[in-house]
Amino acid sequence: MSWYVVTAREWRDLWLGGRGPILMFALSILLSAITYLAATNQILNYLEQREAVNLTLQVAVAVGALVTLVVSADAISGERERATLESLLLAPVSRRAIVLGKLTAAVSLWLGAFAVAVPYLWALGRGVSALVPAMVTGLVVGTLLAVGLSAVGLLISIRSKSNKVSVSVSLFLLLALFAPTQLPTPHGAFGVFLDRLNPVAAALHYLTTVVVNGRGWTHDLSYLASSLAVALVGVPTLMILAPRIVHLVAGDHR
Amino acid sequence: MEAVGLTKRYGGRTAVDEVSFSVSRGEVLGLLGPNGAGKTTAIRLLTTMLTPSSGQFRVAGVDCGKPNDIRRRIGVLPESAGYPEHHSGSEYLLYHARLFGLNRTDAAGTTERLLAEVGLADRASSAIATYSRGMRQRLGIARALVNDPAVVFFDEPTLGLDPAGQRQVLGIICDIAQRRGAAVVLSTHALTEVEDVCTSVLILRQGTVLAAGTVAEVIGTVAAQPTAQLRVPSDMIARAAESLASAPGLQLETTADTLRITLAPGGDGHVPDTNAVLRAVLDAAIPVLSFDLEGTRLSDAFLAMTSQEPR
Repeated sequence: MSWYVVTAREWRDLWLGGRGPILMFALSILLSAITYLAATNQILNYLEQREAVNLTLQVAVAVGALVTLVVSADAISGERERATLESLLLAPVSRRAIVLGKLTAAVSLWLGAFAVAVPYLWALGRGVSALVPAMVTGLVVGTLLAVGLSAVGLLISIRSKSNKVSVSVSLFLLLALFAPTQLPTPHGAFGVFLDRLNPVAAALHYLTTVVVNGRGWTHDLSYLASSLAVALVGVPTLMILAPRIVHLVAGDHR
Repeated sequence: MEAVGLTKRYGGRTAVDEVSFSVSRGEVLGLLGPNGAGKTTAIRLLTTMLTPSSGQFRVAGVDCGKPNDIRRRIGVLPESAGYPEHHSGSEYLLYHARLFGLNRTDAAGTTERLLAEVGLADRASSAIATYSRGMRQRLGIARALVNDPAVVFFDEPTLGLDPAGQRQVLGIICDIAQRRGAAVVLSTHALTEVEDVCTSVLILRQGTVLAAGTVAEVIGTVAAQPTAQLRVPSDMIARAAESLASAPGLQLETTADTLRITLAPGGDGHVPDTNAVLRAVLDAAIPVLSFDLEGTRLSDAFLAMTSQEPR
């Protein structure tokens, strides 16, 4: 249960240390602005109620994934940079327990982001039958993305020699994954394949299918394959490699 | 703790080469050497942070093949250890005590006791960010003791501390060896510290052992001719030299304000008695301002050994 001790400490640092509440406060301001715009556009009939819910849900998922990835990217390289890694590694705790503890704490940020988004979704989707399925789908999809990206962020953090490199690489990765979502819907088999290959783009597409188009959650699960794969491959890879790759680097003072 | 043929290679470079030694409970082993001698690497090998290329070691009966079990039995204060600035001292210790498997109640008790032992009880709830360097080192020592270790490693524990802080930390280290009965490995550049607290020393250069043994044994391995610097009032230097002129085995050299005396061994190998030198000066009614012996300290032996061309 040593991972639980690490999780409890990381969780406390995130949520009581101030980082988590500040990020959630920023998210709530963002969601307030989006909800206001969506609600006013609804009145003008520019945006359907389902689309407004989908937009808010997508923002919550995207921001949740972003903060989870960034916090994970800081997890090991940050300890190394702050010279606290050696003390942690000197405890009789397995490397797996350390990374598992950090991963679960980072994923709590996504759950926090989702909790912040719930009142906004409820305000925008009142009376819409798809509200509850939208929330459940959003929670599942966001959790898959957060877990997968957190594992990737931790792997980057472990392999990076500096925190700057780790956070920069992670942000670049997230940007690369988000950029296609802002492009027009791809046409042709290859375009669709690429869309499904990108876990972020595919997950957001899946949300649109369920929330806006009103399809059942089983309608096209292939859009969930890539985010599921990232989570199912990322976490075991992290757990398998952790004992070998979590260590001090040459020249470390720590 | 016993290490036999401990070696660490990085590609073609050997950081630690066939190092062997042992240290028993209640002893303090001083690990000495110039920068890059392999002291920190040796400590990281012994604390399971690095895996040896060859050789082995045992800590409190546990073989080096069981790193988790070894970590349960050792305490370490790493060189330039960092601390979470926003945690309080007690939160920091509590966390580490929990990592060592203590339940909440035991961890709280251990935290309270250790903070009192290192003199931080009154600052237990202050953020570490507000601690001085000396306080941080003492907190690090307390962290190294949360598991009541059989062997404690200190890597440059007095680095950057003022003299009072150094004395305080060294006092705690002595206490760990004497009162707790732990074996202590102390890596340091401060040779006077070693003379004060260590029961034995190990001098490394470029990863190899240059000398090992008690402080007296190590000093004895270097046959440096002892010299003394005698300071007397400047107008009495000539008289002082005169009073010592007839003493056997002394070579005298005068400067503006000191008299440098080389204590050359006689034909029988006997080094002149320094007390006799002092007595002769005092008998001549010359006030002694200072009398410093050189060539008889660990620092002299260390410099003599480490300044030689590497093999």
